[in-house]
Amino acid sequence: MNTQKMEKDYLLHKWLNNEATPEELEQLKTDPEYASYIQISNATSAFELPQMDSEPNFKAISNKIKPVHQLHKPNIFSVVWKVAAIFAVLLAGYYYTTTLDTSVKTDIAQTETFSLPDTSEVILNAGSKITYNKKNWAKSRELSLDGEAYFKVTKGNKFSVKTVEGTVSVLGTQFNVFVRDGFFAVACYEGLVSVTYNDTILKVPAGSKIQIENGKLMMNETAEDPSPDWLAAESSFENAPLSIVVKEIERQYPVKVTLENVDFEKRFTGSFTHKKLDLALKAICEPLQLQYKIDKNGAVHIDAKNSK
Amino acid sequence: MKKPQNVCNENTFNRLYEAHSKPVWRFIYFKCGDTAQADDLVQEAFIKLWQNCAKITQEKAKSFLYTVCNNAFLNEVAHHKVVLKHAKRQPEKTNFHSPEFLMEESQFHEKLKTSLENLSEAQRTAFLLNRIEGKKYAEIAEMLNISVKAVEKRMSQALATLRKEIGNI
Repeated sequence: MNTQKMEKDYLLHKWLNNEATPEELEQLKTDPEYASYIQISNATSAFELPQMDSEPNFKAISNKIKPVHQLHKPNIFSVVWKVAAIFAVLLAGYYYTTTLDTSVKTDIAQTETFSLPDTSEVILNAGSKITYNKKNWAKSRELSLDGEAYFKVTKGNKFSVKTVEGTVSVLGTQFNVFVRDGFFAVACYEGLVSVTYNDTILKVPAGSKIQIENGKLMMNETAEDPSPDWLAAESSFENAPLSIVVKEIERQYPVKVTLENVDFEKRFTGSFTHKKLDLALKAICEPLQLQYKIDKNGAVHIDAKNSK
Repeated sequence: MKKPQNVCNENTFNRLYEAHSKPVWRFIYFKCGDTAQADDLVQEAFIKLWQNCAKITQEKAKSFLYTVCNNAFLNEVAHHKVVLKHAKRQPEKTNFHSPEFLMEESQFHEKLKTSLENLSEAQRTAFLLNRIEGKKYAEIAEMLNISVKAVEKRMSQALATLRKEIGNI
């Protein structure tokens, strides 16, 4: 009985697997139980399924894998690159912050006194800028200057002031450097200063002052003052072109100066105060036979005295 | 010389979709009985296939798809009833029968349909894969990741349950 059922089950599965012969099927059908199994199986095969909508599904898949695809491409290397990039940024940031040059800048009518890392003292005149590197200072005392500054250098190794016009280097001294618009003046008040410009080296001893215009030495003479005039709120010039003088006015006072019918190359020797504009203008105009006018906007006009 | 090709190629992927999306979809449908869910699972399976394309050879793609679907389905909480459409095939034969017979037959189909819907997921999937998809036991075993013996058992159980539900005919 049991073996007979097993036999029939075997045949049933064989038929379901589509491997039975017609005779075997007939043999199965003789048993009513198996006949109904066959009927059920056949009827089930006749059922239909809802159909999948191929297109929209594929579109949905494509939409989702497109961005994934792009992310996928760089695989392992992307990780390496990311790590490398992070390190590079960190390193660059460290390097940048530690080697970043320090800048000191002054605006119009403003002076700034500060100390360098070796306690050398710098007084920066109006409208000037000094840039130096704190980290490298112990190795090389080097700074760049644009404008005018007075230095009291602590004794030590070479101290250099780089300017567009030339380099001033010293060992330990007090000196003033003025570099603006092609006009380069160095005055030494203590010790010895060496000035390099256009492949020329010039020694400036204490109490001397040199002036270089457009790469040409214009003056080399002794200065009597113990320190530059501008430290006492005065600007002094020695045979300087008027344009340089006017620019100094504009630096020390918040005014705009216009020159009319005046030769820019007119030479000025003298000084003007930083405290009173009226006085300063007078000091410049009188000796040069000029007249000045301050209009209601505060602008200064300078013209030749006999032009009107 | 012949290296097993992986699936990371749009043409290959499209071809695999053409070949397998519908069978896979029906496979899932037998399990869950929900067209929307079947859509979702098919999309998920193909997306996974693409994401892992570098690791999968073309030969392995098919079984990968079924395995992913199986697992995804097990993770789904809501199992729906399978709703089958009524048979539209084999109409010629019945035309010759008497109206009473036709009535009986349609009643029989209706009963079978509800009975099928009430089968357990395991029995139904195996039974419908065999009956509707015409899959052999060995293929079903591979798809469901079970033994051929287990398929046999599910088939027998499914038939016995159906017969009992419908009643003697």
